[in-house]
Amino acid sequence: MRRTLGLYLRLISIQLRSQMQFRFSFWLDVLTTGLLNVSYFFSTYLVLQRFGNIAGWTIPEVAFLYGMIEVAFGTMDMVFSGFDPDFFSVFIRQGTLDQVLLRPMSVAAQIFGSSFVLRRIGRIGQGAAVLIYALVTLDIHWTPAKVVYLPVVLLSQVLAMGALFMVGSTLVFWTVQRVEAINVVTYGGVEVMSYPATIFPTWLRGFFTYIFPFIFLNYYPALYFLDRPDPLGFPVWAPFFALPAALLMLLAAWRFWTFGLSKYQSTGT
Amino acid sequence: MVTFWRIIKLSFLQQLTYRTAMLAGLVTNFFWGLFRAAVVMALLSSQGSVNGLDLPGALTFIVVGQAMLAFMNIFGSYELMTSVYTGSIAADLVRPVPLFFLWMGKDLGRSVVNLLGRGVLLVAVYAFFFPIQTPKSGLGWLAALGSLLLGWLLCFAWRFLVNLAAFWTPDARGVGRAAFIASQLLSGFILPLRMYPDWFVQFSQYTPFPGMFNTSMEVYLGLLNGEALLSALAQQAAWLAVLVLACYAVLRLGLRKLVIQGG
Repeated sequence: MRRTLGLYLRLISIQLRSQMQFRFSFWLDVLTTGLLNVSYFFSTYLVLQRFGNIAGWTIPEVAFLYGMIEVAFGTMDMVFSGFDPDFFSVFIRQGTLDQVLLRPMSVAAQIFGSSFVLRRIGRIGQGAAVLIYALVTLDIHWTPAKVVYLPVVLLSQVLAMGALFMVGSTLVFWTVQRVEAINVVTYGGVEVMSYPATIFPTWLRGFFTYIFPFIFLNYYPALYFLDRPDPLGFPVWAPFFALPAALLMLLAAWRFWTFGLSKYQSTGT
Repeated sequence: MVTFWRIIKLSFLQQLTYRTAMLAGLVTNFFWGLFRAAVVMALLSSQGSVNGLDLPGALTFIVVGQAMLAFMNIFGSYELMTSVYTGSIAADLVRPVPLFFLWMGKDLGRSVVNLLGRGVLLVAVYAFFFPIQTPKSGLGWLAALGSLLLGWLLCFAWRFLVNLAAFWTPDARGVGRAAFIASQLLSGFILPLRMYPDWFVQFSQYTPFPGMFNTSMEVYLGLLNGEALLSALAQQAAWLAVLVLACYAVLRLGLRKLVIQGG
């Protein structure tokens, strides 16, 4: 375990060093991705100026939802870069996975170490800016429990979205090409989670509750942090289901990944 | 002219080869439209209408817009840029078609496939979920199609112009990304412009962007009539002239700087 971790950190440090070679273009990239992402929030912000609220949620409250999931997804997108289906499909097509399998080291650790896209801090940064705006503007009644729980929610979101990247990559074992439909739950999941869940039609909300438990990852925790009543009448533990939901998703994804890996038959390149 | 048609036809056939990829993209497109429609529905259901845009109109705007996404190539493209970096632009420059029309032909062929394959199919599926409005008269259809064509040309000219940045910097993708964010936001693609605050709408009127998308959708929905309609179409045409002239001027400056390395 210790050896694996050491090797992983080693791989990552190589990644970081190579990415920081062109400092100027690196920071420019960070800045433009940050601006690109924040422009979508900016659009919502402008529209909400006219409308005042969406489903009873004010601008800072929506900013809280948006900021949380953006920070989490940005972090996930950085740590799980190796499992990004866009990246992993190339990995498979070029036969790089065959080399990985030959090395006497955990396959997952090598894939985690194969890519670490540092410029995602652009996305994390803009999410953090929006989140800070929300925390400053909103008059949250902080309790010790809330202070402890906030990072737990973020961690849960990272793990849950990472699980989806893992599923997306596992599918590539069979399809070779990346499966675009997975974007509906990865990038689409972020989109869905940045709005109050009540705006979606019942069937879609059901899909994002019982099949992909997104509702417990951001909406319910937000209700707890912002002391909002629950309009959907879920059990009282619903806001605290984020971590169990994330762990369940990760476990399922891990099972699927090991199964997929055992069925892997190179592309012959 | 004959060559121009051939280019369109070839790129049409080329795009047609990727049918599975197109269908796969359709699923994502479809769900994304549902997410966006839910936002619009939540905003407008309490208010009734905003600036003359009511809920069915706004839903049609979003859903038809989502279907036009691939046709209009709203997210932009970086192909011309790449051809400058790889040097394949050298071969394109000696062809008997001006560079502007060469790329227009390529883009048009692809867009037509996306319109027929993705656009029409998506609208048909969305029709089960939402009450999709259509122009009320033959003349309305004609105006909408004319405006849509102008919108497409504006989008293309903008893409071409942005890509020309490649002549001046070794990595123009950042420039492109920033430029395409601006056009997405100000063209009303993300949300109809009528839903934004008045100062933002006024500001957008000083740019060519509303003509790329918002105007066509407003014409389609019949929100503009009589003089307003004519003035909207005239504005689209005027901006098109400006952008095409800018493309030609910038291209000339860029070509003067261009050095193709042998190989």
